[in-house]
Amino acid sequence: MSDAILETALSTRRAFAARGWREWSGTMMLLALITRAKATAWLLIFPAVTLPIWIIGSERGWLAEQILPRPADVLHTLNEMLASGELAQHVGISLLRVLLGFAVGAGAGLALGAAMGLSRRVDDHVRPLFTAIAQVPALAWIPLAMLLLGIGETLKIVVIAKAAFVPVAMNTSAGIANVPRALVEVGETFRFSPLQMLRHVVLPGAVPPIFTGLRYGLTHAWIALVSVELLASSEGLGYLLVWGRQMFWLDTVLVAMIVIGIIGFASDKLLAAVEARLQRWRTDGV
Amino acid sequence: MSRAAERAIRAETPNADQAAARGRLEVRGVSKAFTVNGAPIAALNDVSLTVRPGEFVALLGPSGCGKSTLLRLIAGLDRDYKGSIVQDGEAVTGTSLERGIVFQEPRLFPWATVRQNIALGLKNAPISEADKRAAVAAHIALVGLDGFAEAYPHQLSGGMAQRAAIARGLVNRPRLLLLDEPFGALDALTRARLQTELQRIWAHEKITMILVTHDVDEAVFLGDRVVVLAPRPGRISRIFDVPAARPRARSDDDLVRLRNEVLRTLEHDGAADPQLSPGSRSDA
Repeated sequence: MSDAILETALSTRRAFAARGWREWSGTMMLLALITRAKATAWLLIFPAVTLPIWIIGSERGWLAEQILPRPADVLHTLNEMLASGELAQHVGISLLRVLLGFAVGAGAGLALGAAMGLSRRVDDHVRPLFTAIAQVPALAWIPLAMLLLGIGETLKIVVIAKAAFVPVAMNTSAGIANVPRALVEVGETFRFSPLQMLRHVVLPGAVPPIFTGLRYGLTHAWIALVSVELLASSEGLGYLLVWGRQMFWLDTVLVAMIVIGIIGFASDKLLAAVEARLQRWRTDGV
Repeated sequence: MSRAAERAIRAETPNADQAAARGRLEVRGVSKAFTVNGAPIAALNDVSLTVRPGEFVALLGPSGCGKSTLLRLIAGLDRDYKGSIVQDGEAVTGTSLERGIVFQEPRLFPWATVRQNIALGLKNAPISEADKRAAVAAHIALVGLDGFAEAYPHQLSGGMAQRAAIARGLVNRPRLLLLDEPFGALDALTRARLQTELQRIWAHEKITMILVTHDVDEAVFLGDRVVVLAPRPGRISRIFDVPAARPRARSDDDLVRLRNEVLRTLEHDGAADPQLSPGSRSDA
């Protein structure tokens, strides 16, 4: 009887594979679209509520215009700054700093995290120091770093790198150390070399936590960028914020905030897409 | 299995009969202790067992009798023990492609398809890429998973995943296949079907198999010999020969009689240990 049940199940799946697969995936895609649309609708609720309040509030003068400018003014400033190329210049320099700092910090974080995750010895020796360094926020490193490095580009890259380094190293080491022992044993029975073990067992198994670390790292890199530009810069989005506040150009401040938010959101989505691509097995098929 | 697949497997090993002469395992005076809270606990005490080439041996016993521990030692996954384990004249000093293993959980890599999972077993096999591809395809067919080669583990039922694990354990054509309660987590129907399949595969491959189980019916149905282990410390309590001809039927009178006798031995062992209730079937 079990044979009959199994055979039926097998033939049903084969039939699916042969004929119905296209229709099936079509239906699934439609379902996915609906789910997507629902999620987007939820995302839009907050702006849909706050934007009218902002518009009405600024029209009626609930807050002074110097404190909360009208959305139209912000939009106008945005257009102006876009047209003059000023915004592009600030965005460009900030992006470059984040990319450089993130590349250095995440690279070092991956290397150290992997070493700590793979070797008990390295972990024992390095972790106490690492934890101590990690506990001091990137912002708190700025005064000392300023004295050592001046207020040039090196300072900014180092502070951003430090901010990205900590979460990447932490999640990478935890992810690698937590790859199930059961799967490592399977690799052992196949006589995998250390390199094969890394390539076929450890790294694929650690992809989710490593990417969690990278996404945190990128977010922290952005936060550090704004902080370090607030303190020591004459260009960039953080500088735009400080300068706008000092001049009481709140429309400029808001433009900078919006741009930072959009870029941060987009870069996080980009990393999420890369992760999804690396983990196709999770979503492939049913 | 299709005839083509059978041919492919045969073609791959022209000297199948010669290979059948190997797969001899000698376990001599093996003892193993674990340290729990600073105190040593004897898991195995002076276990000796000789397995003939091509033999099917079932290691049967209640939880905590050390049967899985013994299997891990034979596999070479644990080298911290006293005594000696020798396969075909060579001391076991670590894992080897000559010994395949199937665990209780399928332990498939979730990020790899069935085909990739099985192919990973051949990473270090000294054969050409074309031969590897052929071997993977042949073993997918051997366990009846044609059509599921590109499926990921999470798309498979428990029984199908365990079939894939068996194919992976066999793909290196080991002389010895170790099975650690491979059907323990499956439903009764699937388990019965896979037991029959395993018997067929064993007869076809002519390799030595050692099966760890706590299921008396399974042990008697599959084994040439049933080695009953007793707990605290783990030791061999009695060895039963199963003379029934193959292929076997579960309802065979001799098998049923033997099953009852084995059960009595287990109950007797259990009665000697007040902490262990007879017929206990809880998982180790």
